[in-house]
Amino acid sequence: MTVLILTTEEDVTADMVVVCLNESEVPVVRLDPADLTGSVALSGEFAHGSFRGHLSSGGRLVGIDGLRSVWVRRPGAPAARAATPSAWLTEESAQALYGMLLGSGARWMNHPDAARRARYKPWQLGLAQRCGLPVPATLITTFPRAAREFAGRHPDLVVKPVSGAHPQDPPRAVPTSRVSPETDFAAVAFGPTLLQQRVAKRADLRLTVVGDRLLAARKAVVAGADPDEVDVRFAASAEPWRPAGVPPVVAAGVRAYVRAAGLAYGAFDFAEDGDGTWWFLECNQSGQFGFIEVDTGQPIARTIAEWLARPDAGGPEPAADPDGTDAATR
Amino acid sequence: MQPFALEYARPVGDLEVATPYVYDSGRQVNVLLDGRVAAGDHALLRELGTTTSTAGSKTHFDD
Repeated sequence: MTVLILTTEEDVTADMVVVCLNESEVPVVRLDPADLTGSVALSGEFAHGSFRGHLSSGGRLVGIDGLRSVWVRRPGAPAARAATPSAWLTEESAQALYGMLLGSGARWMNHPDAARRARYKPWQLGLAQRCGLPVPATLITTFPRAAREFAGRHPDLVVKPVSGAHPQDPPRAVPTSRVSPETDFAAVAFGPTLLQQRVAKRADLRLTVVGDRLLAARKAVVAGADPDEVDVRFAASAEPWRPAGVPPVVAAGVRAYVRAAGLAYGAFDFAEDGDGTWWFLECNQSGQFGFIEVDTGQPIARTIAEWLARPDAGGPEPAADPDGTDAATR
Repeated sequence: MQPFALEYARPVGDLEVATPYVYDSGRQVNVLLDGRVAAGDHALLRELGTTTSTAGSKTHFDD
């Protein structure tokens, strides 16, 4: 049984998992849906009450009924690199590829339906609340007056994109940024705006969830750090990520979250305040993990490989401590 | 008419990171010029930042 990995060629983070699967002698087919009708091909036939399909890529051929799992990592848009690409061809290719894969018995990391829903940040915030994870006061609005009133109640504010996406025309980054309460909020009318009470944090936390395993890493805010640099992704810091333990109440909330969301993988971002409270910021259903593994040495890639290689959904989870956190993280 | 959040946008540098490795379709991983698997060189990955939480932002929502 084969593991199918959908990602771009340049995804060196996926390589970390491929290496682990190779070491375990688990068959792997890696392809980018963008290469459909080029170096990637597919075929499937419904006849006599059954289905037989296969994919080929780079000289490898795999039957769709021979897939044990599908890892949706960083796939390109289907047929984006076809000889004559078009939105129509992309939709046709997406329907053919994902439609056939969804009919297989393979396990997904993550299932496309769960992934699509899990990308919505407002949905994330609501689910986190229901799972008992502390969520900073947050407003998403197109009403400038609502923004002004929110700033009056929560004068220490940040703004961040609702989607998490960065504009590409021209390419710009939109880091989480502090907002003065005296700011002119008139432009809130021109796009949904997410304002959130700033957490006076002493550390950033990245909690990577793989199946039932929790691997947490902590990056302390160094003394004298610029308080306006609130986005750890863009703040210059020599402080590395270090392995961290997970408070039981957080572990319980996170487990409830991934169970409700139907996720096999999630990268949670928290901010730790001066009291040690972990404030939920977001959960990226396909968040990066290589930089955490490089800093901490935590076996995230191996844990993903083990999950993908498991023979069936009913099999036991890899060994974990009774509280579910990885021993290496504590 | 610019949305409020874009008032906080920053220009980004060259997104095309020159990487000293290429994809090997036979091995299904990226390899360095000497044939080693690039993912095994953690010092290199740290230097290039290709596994960081902003590396996927150009084409994907998930950092």
